[in-house]
Amino acid sequence: MEQIRGADGFDEFAAARWSALLHVARLLTGGDRQRAEDLVQEALVKLWFAWPKVAEQAPEAYVRTVLVRLAARSARRRWWGERPVEQLPDRADPGDMSSAVAERSRLEAALALLSPKQRAAVVLRYYEDLPEAQVAQALGCPVGTARSHASRGVARLRQLLSDAVRPVG
Amino acid sequence: MDDFERDLSRLMRDTRQHTPYEAEHRQRLHAGIRARRRARMLWKAGGSAVAVAGISVGLALLPGLLTRAQPPADHRPQPSTSPTVQVDTTPTTDAPDPSPTPTRPESTAPATTGGVTPSGTTSAPSDPTPSATPSTSRSTSAPPTPPPSPTPTTVPPSVLESEEPSASASIE
Repeated sequence: MEQIRGADGFDEFAAARWSALLHVARLLTGGDRQRAEDLVQEALVKLWFAWPKVAEQAPEAYVRTVLVRLAARSARRRWWGERPVEQLPDRADPGDMSSAVAERSRLEAALALLSPKQRAAVVLRYYEDLPEAQVAQALGCPVGTARSHASRGVARLRQLLSDAVRPVG
Repeated sequence: MDDFERDLSRLMRDTRQHTPYEAEHRQRLHAGIRARRRARMLWKAGGSAVAVAGISVGLALLPGLLTRAQPPADHRPQPSTSPTVQVDTTPTTDAPDPSPTPTRPESTAPATTGGVTPSGTTSAPSDPTPSATPSTSRSTSAPPTPPPSPTPTTVPPSVLESEEPSASASIE
């Protein structure tokens, strides 16, 4: 297997941050695991080419920004929509649905109903705990716009999640 | 940050699953990097080929453009001499002051050339016309000819040759 050279420490960074990046990507895509993996890989490929410049500074911030922008771009593509398949994918049995899995599914389903910008703003603000200025920088928009995206996203999530837990009948 | 926002933050963190970075992920990542690097090299090669082609086409066309630009440069000196003629003729026109049209100085010009004819043989071909003009030229040029003949006559002939077409046309 041919080794990729020219980026010392890149593999270590990718191995250390893979899980966290995958979780962010999964939140950004509204729970789409395959798409999240594709996004993380594409972001890391872009990071590899920028590694000599970024390695000493803030590779985490760089790859996060790339991830957010890729997620926003991929959400605009039509072909990310549902595609017919011959066999249904494996689903967890009702017995396997632990409370953590149920919560994650509920959260991801609610996030999937937000607009890509709102979703990115909410994830960066409430999962990554980034200040508004950095959220705006990652989204590539003014701080006021980023704040607006985050507040509207939270308001929508509040409504969706409260509807989900509302007792039926 | 209210209760819901705190819950939301906790929910996002709690739902995180640990996913190990496996060899499969690594291979896939490296394959992606190689593909991207190959695509970049192709783009660079294509871009440099286009640049070289553009430069060579430019260099091939440049001499042709320069040679095309030269002929107008050759034509320009000719008109530039004509203004000097006007400067030289003005002293002559000062003498026969009442020159409202260019025809009169032209009529005087042959007179001066006529006076020069002994020295310049080039004026001989233009002699066929003097047959009609001598009467006027002699009458007008008789007083002023002696002083100006040495210096100005050498300059005007070439100049007058350039103006001749218009003069002969007007005479004819």
